[in-house]
Amino acid sequence: MSSIEATHLSKRFGNLTVLNNISLNVSKGEFFGLFGSNGAGKTTLLRILTGQLSADSGEVRTAGYSISDPISIKRSVGIVPEAESPPTFLTAREALELSCLLRNLNNVNERVDRWLDFFDLQEKSDVLCRDLSKGQRQKLMLTSAFIHEPSLLFLDEAFINLDPIYQRRLRGYLKSLVEEGRTIFMCTHILEIAEKLCSRVAVIDKGSIVAQGSIDELRSQEGEDLEEIFIRTVKNENAHLP
Amino acid sequence: MRIFPDIDKQLLIDMIKEEFRLHRSLVGGLGSAFFPFIIFLMTATCAFITPLIARNLNQSTMLLMLHVASLIYGFYIGGFGSMGEQIMTRRLGQVNMLLKLPQIYPISVKKVMAIFFIKDSLFYLVYTYVPMILGISIVAPYVGVTAFGILRLGVTAFLAFMIGMGLSFVSSAASTRSRIFGALAYIFIIATALLVYPLNILQPQYVLLPLAYWADRSLIWPILSVILSIGLAATGSLLMKESYEIKQTKFNNSLLKINARLKVIGELRPLVAKEWLELTRSGNMLPAVGGYTLNLLAIVFISWLFDYGFGIPINFNVVFFSAFVGFMGVMTYSSLTSIENNEYLNVMPLGVDSLIKAKLVIYFILTSGVTAGYVILIGLLKGEVYLIPQSLLVAACTSIYVVAVTAYLTGLWTNTLFFGAKTIIKFTLMVIPPLTFIEVGTILLPFKTGLATWMIASASMFGLVASSLLFTRLKKRWSDASFSLVSSGE
Repeated sequence: MSSIEATHLSKRFGNLTVLNNISLNVSKGEFFGLFGSNGAGKTTLLRILTGQLSADSGEVRTAGYSISDPISIKRSVGIVPEAESPPTFLTAREALELSCLLRNLNNVNERVDRWLDFFDLQEKSDVLCRDLSKGQRQKLMLTSAFIHEPSLLFLDEAFINLDPIYQRRLRGYLKSLVEEGRTIFMCTHILEIAEKLCSRVAVIDKGSIVAQGSIDELRSQEGEDLEEIFIRTVKNENAHLP
Repeated sequence: MRIFPDIDKQLLIDMIKEEFRLHRSLVGGLGSAFFPFIIFLMTATCAFITPLIARNLNQSTMLLMLHVASLIYGFYIGGFGSMGEQIMTRRLGQVNMLLKLPQIYPISVKKVMAIFFIKDSLFYLVYTYVPMILGISIVAPYVGVTAFGILRLGVTAFLAFMIGMGLSFVSSAASTRSRIFGALAYIFIIATALLVYPLNILQPQYVLLPLAYWADRSLIWPILSVILSIGLAATGSLLMKESYEIKQTKFNNSLLKINARLKVIGELRPLVAKEWLELTRSGNMLPAVGGYTLNLLAIVFISWLFDYGFGIPINFNVVFFSAFVGFMGVMTYSSLTSIENNEYLNVMPLGVDSLIKAKLVIYFILTSGVTAGYVILIGLLKGEVYLIPQSLLVAACTSIYVVAVTAYLTGLWTNTLFFGAKTIIKFTLMVIPPLTFIEVGTILLPFKTGLATWMIASASMFGLVASSLLFTRLKKRWSDASFSLVSSGE
């Protein structure tokens, strides 16, 4: 059963084609990784799949909903956006409470306490979000996406700004989610993390999917790692020093 | 020594490009060009009716009004200190501007802010004062003003703008050092204004130096004005801090408590609670209510202008004042839309229309009491107690209608979309005819009571019905929009 189905998806910004005829399918229970160079179209694709942006053409169904119904998609899934920008004038605790209220969740205090504990944010709970460090803000964005325990998660560079302790803690949590049968779609540049977590990956280059499959399927030779696969598929191996 | 090295010139050029591109990205090329065109038309119209005004207002009063308006305009624009602080402390979310350069490049905040001041001076010179001079020039042959006279007027008005911008820059930069310094700077400005009027202890031309030129035509005043502008810009820049410590501000967690108290609002209550906290914690509550009150007082000024400026002694009744109330709420709604970048809401299960509705609830909470007090006070002062109930109804209808039109057309980006051609034309077509209908009705009220009552009642009803339609259509128009600071597709 598919959690995400995209067929012949295209998107242009003015004269620039950002996504070109993209088709992909993510099954329930998969940990799916999307890689690409800077500006390849990863974030645009994630924003379309989560109903944050409309496509010019193509069909998308996310968590069983068409992207013409973005509110239902956002209610069912959890999204960690690229930018760590929680509400400026709310405290850390209030930011999470707002997430719960906007999602009509019960047991708000219990949920908020659980997640503040998970990321060791209790002592910052009454500090305005604008005054938190980048890492603390990122933890709030993650928490806000996890707080309703969605069956499908979208993560855009979710590990950025986290120190190794919390990267490890987050990796463990994400693994446990997949073991429970939940689905994760992750865009990242950190290939070491992706290699440890993803069951299937796709490489996007200049708006097109240039490779898709399990890491084993994408290997052209024994022992090739994800970085080598990525560089080979985007045909950019001739990097040189400045 | 080179005063203006190449790198600074390049930064100035880049900042000017950034400003024009920002405008274009928000309101489109046509919209960007429309604002100076509006200034051109308005000043041409004002210049054309100057002979009529001159019959009742002497030249020095007209000059005073123009220069004070320029000073206030500059003051409104020049809060660069707090803007710089917001950029440096990431409060504007993903909005990055060249002002942020000192964070990663070997250039000081002071220098970047000084260049920013120069950029804004040039931008508003081209965007406002050149069209103003052209507007007056085009009707100059009909009103008997020389080209040299127009140029001098443009220069002194622009210098008043620069001084206003400089004063605002210094006050806001002082505020970033210490709230007390900032408050003292603002108190000094207000005290000086009070010494000029109503206390009449200081002559306005000795406070507003460009105005003094028109008293004795001495070049010393424009020269002193230029020196003062540069001095204020330099002081503002020097007051800027080079590093911004992000202090950890703590507050009692109040969202759930406020949310619980707002049951009557229904599903919007979490957003209304959020908006309320943002308004109070950002320090925008007083400016929003104070600004709205000042706008209402501007209506009294308009009536004064008619009585003494245009020499058309119309005894405006309280219903007239109440019909204008809605129009004055546009800026208040606009200020509510610029407190927070709501980027994080893009991933939440709600549309932009829900946040717009929450802002409208806050708008009515803030303004209803002030509006009612204003209408009742004017009614009592004018001895028109019998008109107060009718006036309150008219004020409510126009207030709801104008803010509904504003919210429908501009959503969360009132401040920027109002510079767009399409928006301003639609707003004018939707708001001016019904308001004019009501205002004409209020003028006819003492003479043709039946007709006037019908005009006022029908236009007010139209306003209510149209508002209800606009509120319903908010969802269709805005639910697919992004919360981020990007073009709405207008």
